[in-house]
Amino acid sequence: MRISGLVGASALALVLSSGAFAQEASLDLVEPIAEYKIYVSEKVAKLVEDTTAFTAAVKAGEVDKAKALFAPTRLSYEAIEPIAELFSDLDVSIDSRADDYEKAEADPEFPGFHRIEYGLWEKNSAEGLAPVADKLLADVKELEGRIASLTFPPEKVVGGAAVLMEEVAATKISGEEDRYSHTDLWDFRGNFDGARKIVDLVRPLIAEKEADFLKTVDANFATVDTTLAKYKDGEGYVTYDKLTEDDRKVLAAAVNTLAEDLSTLRGKLGLD
Amino acid sequence: MRDPKNLLRSSYSFNRRRLLTGFGATALGGSLSGVVRAETLHHSVADAPVANAASPEDSVPHLGLHQAGVVNARPANGMVASFDVLARDADELEALFRTLTARIAFLTVGGPVPMLDPKLPPADSGLLGPVVRPDNLTITLSLGASLFDDRPWLAPLKPKHLTRMTRFPNDALDADICHGDLSIQICANTQDTTIHALRDIIKASSRQMILKWKQEGNVPVITPGPDGRAESARNFLGFRDGSANPDSSDAAEMDRVVWVGPDEGEPAWATGGSYQVVRIIRNFVERWDRTPFGEQERIMGRAKMTGAPLDRREGSEFDVPDYASDPEGKATPMDAHIRLANARDEASRANIILRRPFNYSNGVTRSGQLDQGLLFICYQANLEQGFITVQRKLNGEPLEEYIKPVGGGFFYTLPGIRDASDYVGSSLIAAARGA
Repeated sequence: MRISGLVGASALALVLSSGAFAQEASLDLVEPIAEYKIYVSEKVAKLVEDTTAFTAAVKAGEVDKAKALFAPTRLSYEAIEPIAELFSDLDVSIDSRADDYEKAEADPEFPGFHRIEYGLWEKNSAEGLAPVADKLLADVKELEGRIASLTFPPEKVVGGAAVLMEEVAATKISGEEDRYSHTDLWDFRGNFDGARKIVDLVRPLIAEKEADFLKTVDANFATVDTTLAKYKDGEGYVTYDKLTEDDRKVLAAAVNTLAEDLSTLRGKLGLD
Repeated sequence: MRDPKNLLRSSYSFNRRRLLTGFGATALGGSLSGVVRAETLHHSVADAPVANAASPEDSVPHLGLHQAGVVNARPANGMVASFDVLARDADELEALFRTLTARIAFLTVGGPVPMLDPKLPPADSGLLGPVVRPDNLTITLSLGASLFDDRPWLAPLKPKHLTRMTRFPNDALDADICHGDLSIQICANTQDTTIHALRDIIKASSRQMILKWKQEGNVPVITPGPDGRAESARNFLGFRDGSANPDSSDAAEMDRVVWVGPDEGEPAWATGGSYQVVRIIRNFVERWDRTPFGEQERIMGRAKMTGAPLDRREGSEFDVPDYASDPEGKATPMDAHIRLANARDEASRANIILRRPFNYSNGVTRSGQLDQGLLFICYQANLEQGFITVQRKLNGEPLEEYIKPVGGGFFYTLPGIRDASDYVGSSLIAAARGA
């Protein structure tokens, strides 16, 4: 059902777009974008499910359980960030950081995942977090609803691969995202998976013409995999402070290179 | 000869001649023809850039025995950026050096920027418009000890004196602005040109190295005095800086002071290079401005307004103090900065360094004071006899109350790019493969 609805919307966009190359590209993109919408829908459904359990633990004052659920819950959000960020009000409410507020952690406006993270790790307590948890769950559900009715803009989907890498390059490689829990490597995993999903979906469209490009991109994703694998711990990852300086450099260069390369993906697909 | 216009013309012909012949500055000694004869002019790289004389077409050749950006006159803007290098083997390091050489060749010569399909990100940031002009740009590459130390295949080739920058007693080093595998000094007439070059290099080399820190600076441009001679630029303590620099148009002097020769016990690949010291030295300017004028002069050892030595106040910054006639430090205190740094005797000739600093102004500290100071850069053929010895002599000087070195590093400036088929660092790569 979802697929046919989207195909209709994209076909309309195709009629309206100008330029022969762009039209052709949009036509080819219908299927990858439909598949991407399924991917995002599954991720956001998982996000709602995980956030329900996470916020329940917070409200029940089960600090250890809440801590254990924090990083895995965020994984789904990080993978679909390019789409989630289209709703800037929700992104701020779900995923903003203390730096975004004048009084930082002490600011009563500071909401979302990182507000809860701060309480759980810095105060080792869930005290006072119940309203924050309620709001977070409501926001995540609202996000699911909005995504369901969204027509995915092709340039945002394809450009999303680069956006994910820009996010990591600008504000994550430093370890500042999950500064209280140091679960940054989980977020990286989500970001990389989300970017790679997009590349894989459009791969057939450029496989012949851009073989070298894809080879480089794949090699950098492989570097990331190999590096992250060293820090695997059970289902997830060790804390960010365990990352050696050498591996941090390797990841930083891979991220910068992926950001540089993936910034051309839209253009390679003829998207403006 | 005393007409400032003559000086300007000589400066132009200097640039043009080097552009046309493609010779490095050292090839120039004695061959300067035209309006001003070489022996009459002392060219210090720390001479203040001449006001209204800079042109976007100014060009410094990037090819030669030595890299550009060391013995040529310092333009108004400078920057040091330090990077971590990813290269795991000689092939990867060569690839980085070749990438950087290609960017140096384009940026310092200039030309139209490539235009791509508008659906793609642009090839060039566009900061300088559709045509990049050289604007006196120099890009100078130097290597830190960590590049060698962390790579067993490169370690045996480390220059003899190259170490991680050591802490001196007055230092308060901030790890975030220290050291690095590779430093890039970028200098140009305008700040836009230095920033454009940095962004171009970062874009071209993102898979090969990661930016670690950078510090920008500048020096005031000054109209030459009535005698036509360029003055040394003032630092943020209000004193002229660089007055005692060696004559950078004297090739033999530069070979002695700056460039590493074949007989100095250095690895053969290093011939034609130099040791680069970078120090980010914060100045406590509020406190300095609350220090009596006379005390400021005694601390520095110079007349503040003119730069003249204290034993001949009627003179100029270029007069040489006569310490032999002042053995008790009555005119120039024994612990004055310039006296400690350079005793002006035969022994201290071995410790001469080429200083090429820029002033920096960064913002405000948490204490509400100005974060200003000196981006100190110097070059020497022997790091131990040069900067390290001079700094040891300065340790404990009264000036320390007003300055605090917080960052920087020791680096080895690679030999020059010999010709268009060469690349920077080629001698090191050849040595690494041969080893």
